[in-house]
Amino acid sequence: MAGFQVLGKSVTRVDALEKVTGKAVYCTDIKLPRMLYTKVLRSPYPHAKIISIDTTKAEQLPGVKCVITGKDVPQKKYGSVVRDASTLAQGVVRSVGEPVAAVAAETIEAAEEALELIDIKYDQLPTVFDPEEAASTKPPVIIHPDLFNYEPASSFFKLERLQDFDRPNVITHFKIRRGDVEKGFQESDLVMENRFTTARIQHCALELQVALVQPETDGSLKIWISLTMMHPARREFSRLFDLPVDKVRTIQPYVGGSFGRSSTRSEIPIAVTLALKTGRPVKHVFTREEVFYRAGNRIPFIIDIKDGVKRDGTLVAREMNIILGGGGSAEFTVGLVARNCAFGAVGTYRIPHFKLDSRGVYTNNPIATGFRGLGSPELLFAIESHMDMLAEKLGIDPVEIRRKNILREGEANVTGEITHSIGAEECLSRTAEWIKLSEKPEADGVWRRGKGIALSNKYTLAPSTASARVEITEDEGIVIYHGAEEVGQGAHTVMAQIVAEEFGVSIDKVKTAPNDTLHTPFDSGAYSSRQTYWSGNAVRLACQDAKRQLFEKVGQSLGVSPDDLEIREGLVYAKGMPDKKTRIAEVCGSFSNGKIVGNGTYIQEFAAEDPGTGQIDPKLAAEGKRLNTSYAYSSKAVEVAVNIETGEVRVLRCATTDDMGFPINPKMCEQQAEGGLGMGIGIGIYEEVLLKEGVITNPNFTDYRMPTVHEMPATDNVEVMFAPAPHKDGPYGAKGFSEGAMGGMEPAIANAVYNAVGIRIKDLPITAEKVLKALKEKGAS
Amino acid sequence: MKQLIKLKVNGVVEEVFIEPWWSLAYVLREVLNLTGTKVGCETGNCGTCTVLVDGKVVKSCLLLAPKANRKEIVTIEGLTGKDGGLHPLQEAFIEHFAVQCGYCTPGMIMAAKALLDENPNSTEEEVRVALSGNLCRCTGYVKIVEAVLAAEEKIRIGG
Repeated sequence: MAGFQVLGKSVTRVDALEKVTGKAVYCTDIKLPRMLYTKVLRSPYPHAKIISIDTTKAEQLPGVKCVITGKDVPQKKYGSVVRDASTLAQGVVRSVGEPVAAVAAETIEAAEEALELIDIKYDQLPTVFDPEEAASTKPPVIIHPDLFNYEPASSFFKLERLQDFDRPNVITHFKIRRGDVEKGFQESDLVMENRFTTARIQHCALELQVALVQPETDGSLKIWISLTMMHPARREFSRLFDLPVDKVRTIQPYVGGSFGRSSTRSEIPIAVTLALKTGRPVKHVFTREEVFYRAGNRIPFIIDIKDGVKRDGTLVAREMNIILGGGGSAEFTVGLVARNCAFGAVGTYRIPHFKLDSRGVYTNNPIATGFRGLGSPELLFAIESHMDMLAEKLGIDPVEIRRKNILREGEANVTGEITHSIGAEECLSRTAEWIKLSEKPEADGVWRRGKGIALSNKYTLAPSTASARVEITEDEGIVIYHGAEEVGQGAHTVMAQIVAEEFGVSIDKVKTAPNDTLHTPFDSGAYSSRQTYWSGNAVRLACQDAKRQLFEKVGQSLGVSPDDLEIREGLVYAKGMPDKKTRIAEVCGSFSNGKIVGNGTYIQEFAAEDPGTGQIDPKLAAEGKRLNTSYAYSSKAVEVAVNIETGEVRVLRCATTDDMGFPINPKMCEQQAEGGLGMGIGIGIYEEVLLKEGVITNPNFTDYRMPTVHEMPATDNVEVMFAPAPHKDGPYGAKGFSEGAMGGMEPAIANAVYNAVGIRIKDLPITAEKVLKALKEKGAS
Repeated sequence: MKQLIKLKVNGVVEEVFIEPWWSLAYVLREVLNLTGTKVGCETGNCGTCTVLVDGKVVKSCLLLAPKANRKEIVTIEGLTGKDGGLHPLQEAFIEHFAVQCGYCTPGMIMAAKALLDENPNSTEEEVRVALSGNLCRCTGYVKIVEAVLAAEEKIRIGG
C-alpha cells in the first residue's frame, strides 16, 4: 500500500535481539526468593472412583511443606465453555493424567519423593474411548452424569440450546441448516459420500508449561503464566478463589509457542492453592509427558461428508456429520471447537443446500482442546480431499472445480453472512500457476511423484474486545500499553509498527510495556488469529486519541485548525507550511503529568447465529453485521514422492499463497506461512498421539514424530506468495491469518499422494504403513 | 553428598557444589542463572539445551554435571562480545527473521556455531544435518537454515 513508512515493511522484530542473546525471559526462567517446587500426582486410570487417599507419610518427609487433595481446593468447577473440571479430583477421575493430589516442597527431589508416599485406593469404573460410541444415544458409560446441570462459562454459550439431551456424553451440538439437502441431492448429477478422520496431535510448543504464583501480603495473587489469554484467565482465577479481579495480577513474560495449547490452564489453581496454604511462592513446571497429557491435544475428528454436484462441477448440496472426541473434561472441545470448526465449511464455497451437525463428546481419553485453526483445518481435510475426488469422477480439473464454486464478494455464505474480503480465487490461481498440476513429474526408481493442491479458509471469531493506551513522554519517547500477547507470532512488533506509522517515527522510538494486567489494558488475548485486527485497531485508536489531544493544543498555539496538522519525527507541522511547527517536547509539559495519554478500545457489533439453524438474521446481515470478524484464505500446493516399496511419503516442494488483507510485516507473514507448511507436513504425514485404553503410548519427543529440519523441503523448494484482499474494518486493511497459514496442507498432501500412486488415504496421518497397506490392496484387486 | 566441580563457562572459571545426578543444563540454569540455555524435554530430543563443551555440540540436559568437570563450556550468553557486539549468527538470525517464539533460538544458534567453527563453507545439506537435533515448531526451519547460510557468508567475508 502506498504512502506508508513503517507498515507493509519488513521491520526487524522488536523481540529478536533479546531472543538471540538468550536474555528473553520465559516463565521457566523465573525464580523467586523462598520459592517452593510443586509436583502433581495424577490418575493412572481412565475412569475410577477414589476410595481413599492417605497423605500422612508424604507430609512427614523432610522438605515437604504442603500436601493437598480434592478437599483443599476450591469446590467450584472451572472450564473454558462448560464448567465441568475440578482443580483436584473430587472423588472420581475421568482420564489418565487428571490431577488427584499435589505437593509443595523445598526441592523438586523432595516433591517427587513425596508423590511416591501418597497412598490412593481406586475402584475402576467402566470406560468409553471410541468417540462415536461415546456420542451414541446409549453409551456404555455416562462420564458426567451431572452435565445438564453444569454452568456455562459465559453468556456467549447458551448451553440449554447447544446440548443434546438424547446423547448424554455430548457436550454441545452445533447445527447449520440452509436450503434442503435432500432436494439438493435429488437435483445433483453425482452424489458422493465418504468418511475422513484426523488424529490427536500435540501442540509441541517447546516451552514447558509453567504455573508460578506468589501470594502477596494483602491477600492478592501474582501469577506468571506461560499461556495466552492472560486477562480472561485472571477473571477465571478471581472467580475460583473468591477474590476481586484487581486482586489477581497475571504477568506474561515471553511465551515459548502456543498453537492453542494455552487454552488449558488446569494446573495454575493447584499452584495457587499451595501458595495460599504455605504463604510462599510456588512453581510448577510440567514435564514433557505432563504436556502430552494435560496441555491438551488437538481433538481427533470423525467427519462424514456427502456432496451433490452437477455434471459441470457446480456444488448443489453438502451434508456433514462431525464428531469431536474430547477427553474426560471439556476444555475447549465443546462450545468453541464443536461450533467453530464448522466455519471451515462455511467460508470458501457457494452451496445452495447445506446441512451440518457437529458434536463434541466426552470420552475417557486424556483431555483434548483447541489447536491452531480451532477445527477448520480438520474439516478442510475432508472437504478439499472430496473436491479432488469429485473432480476426478466428473473429469474436471481440480483447480477449476474449486474456482467455479468460490464465493464472490457480497454473496451470502451457507450461514447467510455476506462475504467480504475474499482472496480465495487469487490464492488458488497463484498456487496453481506455481505447481502446474498438468505437468506430471517423472517417477524415479521406486519413488513415484505426484502433485496436489487445496484451498482453505480460516475465520477469526467474534465478538471480542481490545484496549490500548499510548503515552508520549516529555523526551518524545512513546510507550505503548496493550494486551496483545507475544507468543512468537510477532504481535508486539505489529503493534509497535502501527504506533511508529501513526506518529511518523522509526520503530525503535516505540517502547512496548510488558504484558501485565496491573498496567496493560484488557484484551481478549492470542486466539483465533484475532490480535492484528482487534488489538491493532485498538492501538490505532489510542494513537488517534493522543494525536487529537496533541493537535488541539498545538493548533491553538500555531493558530491552525487541528485538522491541518501532521506529525513526523517528533515535530507537529502545519500541512504545507514547513516553517509552522512545534516539537512535541514543548507541549508535553502542559499536559498533566507531563505526558500525553491516548486511549483506544475497539468494539464492533456482531450478530449471533440462530442455534437451530446456524443462520444469521437476514436483516442484520443486510445491515452489514457478521458472525465472524473476517476470513483469511490460503491455497497450498505440494509435490510428493511416494516410495512404492516402503510406503514412505516425502514432501519435495511446497507452496502457499495467503490472503491476510494487508501484510503489515511481510517477513513476519512469511514466518507464519512457512511455519504453517512445516506443521502441516507433520500433521499430514508423521504426527499422532497414540492411545491404548486411555494411556498415551508416545508421550515424548522420541516416539512422537514432530518434523525436524529434514522433513522440510530445501529452502529453494518452499515458496510463499501473498494475495491480500483488504478488509474494510481491518487496521489498514489487515486481517489475522496465522492459523489459516496451516490449513489446507493435509488435503494438499493427500491429493498429491493420490496423484502419485492412485491411493486415497482418508485418515490422517498418511503414514508409510497406511500407504503400503493401501498399495498392497490396490495391487491385489 | 554434594561434590565440587570446576568449569570454565564463557571464559569464566566457576566452582560449583553439585549433586551427582544433576545435569549440566540444571547447573547452568539453576545454579549459575544462565537461563539462555533452555530445557524442553529432558530426553535429548528437542535441542533447546544445546551448548558447546570443549567446542563440541552437547545436549546439556543429557550430560551429568560431574562429566562437565574441568571442561570449557560456551552458552548463548558467551556469544555476545564484551562490547555487546553480536556474533554473525546472532546478527543473521535477526536479519533473516529466523526467530519467532525464541525458545529454540539459543540451542539452534549454538548447534550452528559448532558447525561454522568447524567448516564455514558448509552447504545447505550440511547445515540441515547440523541442525537435525534441534526442533522448532514455529518456523518450518526455512529462515533458520537461511540465517545460518547467511552467517557463513558473513564469516567468510569478515575472515
